[in-house]
Amino acid sequence: MSEIPEHKETFESFKNSFFYGSRSDMSFKFLAHLSDDQASDFFQGLLSKLVDAYDSGDTAPVYEHIRQSQILSYAQEARAVYDTGPFTPMDTPLSQSRLMLLTSSGHFVDGDDPNPLGVENMTQTQAEQQIMSFLKESPPLSAIPVDTPTDRLVVRHGGYDVRGARRDPNVSLPLQRLRELSVDGVFGVLSDPVYSFVGACSQVRLLKKDGPDWVQRFKAQKVNAALLVPA
Amino acid sequence: MSVGHVARLMEASGIPTVVVAVAAFEQPLKKMVLPRVLLTPYLLGRPLGLVGDAQGQRAVLRAALDLLESAARPAMVHYRRP
Repeated sequence: MSEIPEHKETFESFKNSFFYGSRSDMSFKFLAHLSDDQASDFFQGLLSKLVDAYDSGDTAPVYEHIRQSQILSYAQEARAVYDTGPFTPMDTPLSQSRLMLLTSSGHFVDGDDPNPLGVENMTQTQAEQQIMSFLKESPPLSAIPVDTPTDRLVVRHGGYDVRGARRDPNVSLPLQRLRELSVDGVFGVLSDPVYSFVGACSQVRLLKKDGPDWVQRFKAQKVNAALLVPA
Repeated sequence: MSVGHVARLMEASGIPTVVVAVAAFEQPLKKMVLPRVLLTPYLLGRPLGLVGDAQGQRAVLRAALDLLESAARPAMVHYRRP
């Protein structure tokens, strides 16, 4: 009588499953970039700090533990390495500047879905499932009018956990906060529209085609400076 | 690091930039040699701060805009919560 081989999951496949696998979770996909020992330390520390938080009522060390592990996972990343970089000084006082906002958070206005990959009404889950296709394509640039109400902003991005950005778009697209600072006179005027795109895209196309095209568009808007936010 | 590429393109064309990113991105952004970067102490996906914390988000933006205006040379700065 033959036996069906029992599938035994290894610790390595367990931690890797958070990276677009059976346990896909954009907040913890970083586990796949940790060694087994580092990931083991993460889980052991997390469980310990959870009990400490239960007793103390202070949950901050739990979040700090997660944050430090995120830092550790990205520390060895080196997708683009340069020896030097351009630096343009501000030649207009901030109080008189036309400031633009560009984020890679994947926001767009409700009713103006860029339909990435030619898919209408793509869900967040579908975006995560098709992340490899996103990485081969040019990123559509969504223009968002400055007076867009917060409740008309939609976010979808297959590369990060959008739950925070859904609850409050300002955590990665600080449009409402910039409107407030503009009224306070912190800078001259917020350039209209602001922009967002999905940062998970073809880096070659972004560098060679889309990025240069965008810059020409921004220059035509006569912006004096830009606030850029990677999500 | 798509935003880093755009920042470099904008700077090269004469538009000053400041990048606000979570501290987890420190090493990848450092390797891109960006002109002005403010690193914030928040979880991935929330570079401007906590959900619903309008005051905290404004403070981060003020720090970023101060860096934009004051930096005379490339600078990467860690934002400290007040």
